[in-house]
Amino acid sequence: MADRRNVPPREQIEALAGHRFAGGEYTVAHWENFLLTECTGATLMPDGMVHPIVLFHLPIVGAGTSITDMFALGQAESDLSIMIESYDWEFLAPLREEQAYRVEGSIQSSERCHTDSDDIYDRIQFRFEIFSADRSPVARSIITWHYTRGML
Amino acid sequence: MKPAVGDNIPEWVMESVSAERMRTMAAILRDPNPIHWDREAVAALPLGLGRRTINQGPLGLGYMVNMLHAWAGPGSIRRMVTRFPQVVLDGEQVVSRGIIRALREEYGEQLADCDIWLEHAERGILLEGSATVVIAAGGLAKGD
Repeated sequence: MADRRNVPPREQIEALAGHRFAGGEYTVAHWENFLLTECTGATLMPDGMVHPIVLFHLPIVGAGTSITDMFALGQAESDLSIMIESYDWEFLAPLREEQAYRVEGSIQSSERCHTDSDDIYDRIQFRFEIFSADRSPVARSIITWHYTRGML
Repeated sequence: MKPAVGDNIPEWVMESVSAERMRTMAAILRDPNPIHWDREAVAALPLGLGRRTINQGPLGLGYMVNMLHAWAGPGSIRRMVTRFPQVVLDGEQVVSRGIIRALREEYGEQLADCDIWLEHAERGILLEGSATVVIAAGGLAKGD
């Protein structure tokens, strides 16, 4: 059985649902797109389009938060204790380098869960919406992480 | 080439997952998790992974993006949902694969709904999910 002494109260976890990040803007610089694209083993896309993997950090930073803050919000035991359940990315229009995008983000759901072996984890789902300068929706990202408790 | 349900998407191979690229990614993403840049941190975990860093989730997802782009063209992806049943480790060869599950039209666009996955020869499926891509009027790269 995992150590449950430092597990946050269920009420604190459930209260995270509805939390809204400050929101803000983000611009993917050319150097950033170049390096990210190279990291995937691909070549740059044409016409200044950015590689879709920007849809991980663009929304997070653009919404005014960070991976560190998201770990802290869920009272992560350590950086090592986070497991990815899924990433759900939707592209409504091409994302391009050197263009400012408006980002809004919130915690869509937050719940206490149990594994088949009765270990505890908290499932937190973040939702980010990306808009162009004229407020048209451009993309959406839903990040679902498991905050494991006493399992590692 | 005209697509059909059941067609395989041409595979895309990452010959060797790079620890250096994970470090670059960690810096750009400001990702504090040492599993992506400190082999000793991974070795200390009770997971039996040895002294190898763990690829960032978005990077493994990126290999599947590259497969879809090579097949249907840049900018063709409308949606991707990816789950992460196993980690991807530095030094591994991984292969992105996929298959067309449905074809449909929406707002004048021809769409293909696909199952996609990232596979390791010994460890099996590491990432899995679904993707919706636009089929351009000019067709697709040839699958098998």
